[in-house]
Amino acid sequence: MTRTIYLFSAVLLTISACKQSGSSSGAGSEARPAAEGKKPASDDIVLGILADLTGATADVGKPYNEGMLAYLDNLNAQGGIKGRKINALSEDYAYKIPNAEEKYKKYVQAGAVAIQGWGTGDSEALRSKVKGDELPFMSASYAEVLTDPKQSPYNFVVAPTYSDQMRIALDRIAASDPTAQVAVFHHDSPFGMAPVADGEQWIKDRGYKLGYKDYAMKGGATDHVGLLQQAKAQGAKFIVIQNVSSPAATVARDVAAQKLDMKIVCLNWCSDELFVKLAGPAAEGHWMVQPFAPPTAGKPGHESVRTYAKAKGFDLEAKGLHFVQGWYTMHVMARGLEKVAADGKPLTGPNLRTALETMDPVDTGGVIGPVRFSADSHRGATAAGIYKVEGGKMVEVATAVTPQK
Amino acid sequence: MIVPLATGIHHTSYASELALRNTRGEKARLGLGILALGALPFLLDSYWLSVVNAIGIAAIGAIGLNILVGFTGQISLGQGGFLAVGAFTSALLSGRAGVPIPVAIAAAVVVTAIGGVIAGLPALRLKGLYLAIATLGSQEIIEFVIRRWRWLTGGQGFLEAPPLGVLGWHVQRATFERTWYWVILGAAALGAAAARNVFRTALGRSFMAVRDHEVAASTIGVNVTRAKLGAFALSSGYVGLAGALTAHYSGTVSWERFTREVSVLYLGMIIVGGLGSIAGSIYGAAFLLLLPPLLSALADAVRTTAPFLADQLPALQVAAVGLVIMLFLIFEPRGLDRLWRRVRDYFGSWPFRY
Repeated sequence: MTRTIYLFSAVLLTISACKQSGSSSGAGSEARPAAEGKKPASDDIVLGILADLTGATADVGKPYNEGMLAYLDNLNAQGGIKGRKINALSEDYAYKIPNAEEKYKKYVQAGAVAIQGWGTGDSEALRSKVKGDELPFMSASYAEVLTDPKQSPYNFVVAPTYSDQMRIALDRIAASDPTAQVAVFHHDSPFGMAPVADGEQWIKDRGYKLGYKDYAMKGGATDHVGLLQQAKAQGAKFIVIQNVSSPAATVARDVAAQKLDMKIVCLNWCSDELFVKLAGPAAEGHWMVQPFAPPTAGKPGHESVRTYAKAKGFDLEAKGLHFVQGWYTMHVMARGLEKVAADGKPLTGPNLRTALETMDPVDTGGVIGPVRFSADSHRGATAAGIYKVEGGKMVEVATAVTPQK
Repeated sequence: MIVPLATGIHHTSYASELALRNTRGEKARLGLGILALGALPFLLDSYWLSVVNAIGIAAIGAIGLNILVGFTGQISLGQGGFLAVGAFTSALLSGRAGVPIPVAIAAAVVVTAIGGVIAGLPALRLKGLYLAIATLGSQEIIEFVIRRWRWLTGGQGFLEAPPLGVLGWHVQRATFERTWYWVILGAAALGAAAARNVFRTALGRSFMAVRDHEVAASTIGVNVTRAKLGAFALSSGYVGLAGALTAHYSGTVSWERFTREVSVLYLGMIIVGGLGSIAGSIYGAAFLLLLPPLLSALADAVRTTAPFLADQLPALQVAAVGLVIMLFLIFEPRGLDRLWRRVRDYFGSWPFRY
């Protein structure tokens, strides 16, 4: 009996260990700037960054994190914030909430004044903690609940929320086919669930005649044919995907392989070059709701990023829009830090919060609409661009689209 | 199985026979242990104290699992699910129904124990691998329910658990880790002492009889059904307590914390610590939860010479845990507890071999 237990657990553990290490890609760290892990001089500003470099959302998490570190590298090279360098503590938490909590505590211990988070799950989990510790927290999660200062006084959301993106997508769908059936494929997590209920409510509020049903995408699935069959039974014409690029591309390929007449509408985290690249010809004609302009759109705001990339010898187009997204998210944070310094206040969490709430709107040169926070709202922006995949490229269809009033 | 601890002990009263510790050495070690535990929150910074707190909660869960697997021989892969039952029960009762938190935690213990009995019913007919799969089934069912039943989380996918507090007193943010340390230490110490004593009662001995030989046990009058279900109930009660503490300690409950991997990790804890040992459960929890942060500290220290270590840290942390368990299975299947006993016995008779 005991023997069986040993054997069985040994096998299980081996499997789970393999599964874990298997999911990490062997991508190198070519553009990792020196900002990371440097021993801080005493007056450095300490920032904590939660990164997903090897977990479930690593495909988009890695460029985002690189963008953030690149921004700081650039900023430090130009003298930092009033001569104070920023020391970023950036660690991979592999998209696991307990890891995020552990890293967070480590950053707090190291004296971080603000945190750049990543996923919805960890942002939610840390929400009450940052409130207690009074640490401004930005994340790459754009869940609605994080924008309300009454509920989340220290969370800041720089982009339109997932719910807003869903509303924009539904507006677009209703305009093109008022009675279409919409299937929502979402990541099986708080991140995936975030816009689902709000989308359903939006259809009711706006009086749309759209059908609406949501389906959870199983993590690690190699195909989504089963889900597509259910969507087909529903009569779905549109599939809104709230997931990262790799699984979304799988859906696109399956749609093509099954010869289904369905149009995919990607929200933020699968609307990128990676989706187009992975899905190949199957990506053609699908739509994307993406608040951050891809480098190929050539907005004025891309110039500074491109200059940095050239100086460091890498190709911005290859890094993609999530690199830019990380860059400008960090830019907003840096603006807040500058404001605190300009006001001559000591750099504390509450002061940084006030600075973010009262500073001028941050102009990103068209990459994302001006980011503006106030004491009543931490919803930085409401507008997103709409793109269509044509000839293997993201082609801009409309810019600065907001949900219908 | 019990190794002679010391020779020449003659009991002259019932009280001395009932004592858990007999020799001066044992008592001295206990005293040192208590001193160390008392000094810990004043020596560690809040980060390392949070690691210790996580260990404390895991130790309670591991003791629970060891009661079932190590003492009763009923393998369970449902640990993550039962932790979830405890966490959700306590968070729902205190957060949504407004029940005082200590009452909610107690209720979580009871509810999880009942859940454990239900999940343990297959154990009356199944053994070994078959039971493992059956308990894996209950893990999957519970995981499915907490992921899909929107009422549980109000459609948000996660549930907030109110911070620990009694009668208007709440844990303060500034002393958060330290306050929790005492709460967790108290719960773990009580739990460990209770578990240790259970195995000196008829009920506890019947668990071990069932583990050693079911037929023989029933021949000498052990009610096997009662023993097995009792073990499931008791074990799940501990696990429910660990789950409820996790909920209030971290403030957020979501399914991601209670997956199959967690079940396997706990199984790893009791194997590394020592199957059938209460102290071993605690050693195992400490060992497996200290390994990742220590590795991360190591990776930080050698970042310039071996950047690979830092880049692949999460994967390495998991792989290291797997490797450690394999090494234990090969070199010391009875775990850290046995290792400790061997060291102690060696020095006890040093410089002689016995």
